[in-house]
Amino acid sequence: MVKTYTEKIQIHKSNKLAGLYPSVKFWVVILYTICTFVLGTIHLTDIGLSLLLIPWFLVIPVLCIASGAFGKCFKALKAVALIALIILVVQSFLVPGGEVLVKFGFVKICEKGLKTAISLSFMIMDIAGIFVWLFQTTENKEIARALEESGMNYKAAYVFTSTLQMIDILSENSKTIMNAQKARGVETEGNMIVRAKAFFPSLVPLILGAVIGSEERVLTLEARGFSLQGEKTHLFNLERSGAEKAVLATAIVITILVIAGRIALWVL
Amino acid sequence: MEKKKYSIKDDFSMLALLIIPVGVAVNFVGGQLASILKLPMYLDTIGTIFASMLCGPWVGAVTGALTNIVTGIANPVNFAFIPVNVLAGLVTGFLARGKMFSVWWKWIVSMLIMAAVSIVSSAPIVVLVYGGVTGSGTSIITAAAMAAGANIWAAFFGTEGIFTVLDRVISFIICWLVIKVIPPRTLIKFGCGSNYIKESK
Repeated sequence: MVKTYTEKIQIHKSNKLAGLYPSVKFWVVILYTICTFVLGTIHLTDIGLSLLLIPWFLVIPVLCIASGAFGKCFKALKAVALIALIILVVQSFLVPGGEVLVKFGFVKICEKGLKTAISLSFMIMDIAGIFVWLFQTTENKEIARALEESGMNYKAAYVFTSTLQMIDILSENSKTIMNAQKARGVETEGNMIVRAKAFFPSLVPLILGAVIGSEERVLTLEARGFSLQGEKTHLFNLERSGAEKAVLATAIVITILVIAGRIALWVL
Repeated sequence: MEKKKYSIKDDFSMLALLIIPVGVAVNFVGGQLASILKLPMYLDTIGTIFASMLCGPWVGAVTGALTNIVTGIANPVNFAFIPVNVLAGLVTGFLARGKMFSVWWKWIVSMLIMAAVSIVSSAPIVVLVYGGVTGSGTSIITAAAMAAGANIWAAFFGTEGIFTVLDRVISFIICWLVIKVIPPRTLIKFGCGSNYIKESK
């Protein structure tokens, strides 16, 4: 059977979690973030480390695997983990204050440093991780469509999608321009001043071309009735996977449990 | 000449709407290019500066915010730096409206203001959210200064300060070179474009 164009551009996801409605995913992200902050205030052990943030992070790989997108998420998570690791190391070794806990030669780990190191790095891991899940399982087209559906101006939604396309176009163009300028004798290797000088001939034509191009795009869009007032129709429509209510309910229940646990700890 | 009136709604003309994606993409490509050429600067605010020089502060602020949202999709660490980029856009835009880019000594003043604003706004985020290091090239120097016993704030201002000023100078020169070669018939369509047209007598 031959598919029509409108059928071709629809997105079908067999996985129920990955195919969740984007705004439901967004609520999960918000609730998870709230839980992260609540859990961060619970201090365990006698020097008060917020150790609960570490098992809380395990939720993210589980979510990613359940959504069937672990490979994609893993790459993005690695970048986040590297930054968290640097923060962990720098904070725990360099911030003085409090009792000295461990000492090897000239390196020493202090109480205050270790405390901020653990809470800061895992807080970042947790919050950044859940955003990774959101963006790796949702396509940009879906996000833009969901934004529009939730009442955002269609012009703003257009700016969002157009931005994502523009980044690809301009990165391609910049490579072409760099090669062209190299062929004309612009040096891109050498000391820092030589390299800094190469920056100008590659970027100026790029911006100029993009500006002149956008002038023409205005004409094209106006000719197609972009700024016309009235109801707009859509070629691409969002699907619901059917698990929205269950997922949202689970997320809310977990959040309430976490907050209740925190309050119980205060009272007791 | 009559003083021009500005309204936020007029700022977002069709052309301005299309300059926002271009600005974001230029920010992105500028940052990429800086790392390809191994320059010790970010150079990722060129698009923001460019958009706010042409279309005013609010378009610049949107460009800045959108840049960090979009780059945050790949690396969520950038979400925390949204205010820095928004402020950069706002300040540059207001400077452009105040015609602070007309004479050479005004350039220097405005560049210093732009650099100062971005250092002051990014310092609390780097120090309070990330504890002084973000994993970029300059944070190694900051870490070394901290290890040598310097205060975390002093370490950050010292290292980041020099590079930010250089960053702003290069970004500004690029924007200026581009604006100079845009033909007047295009410039006039932008909100602040008429400031850059030399009147022929």
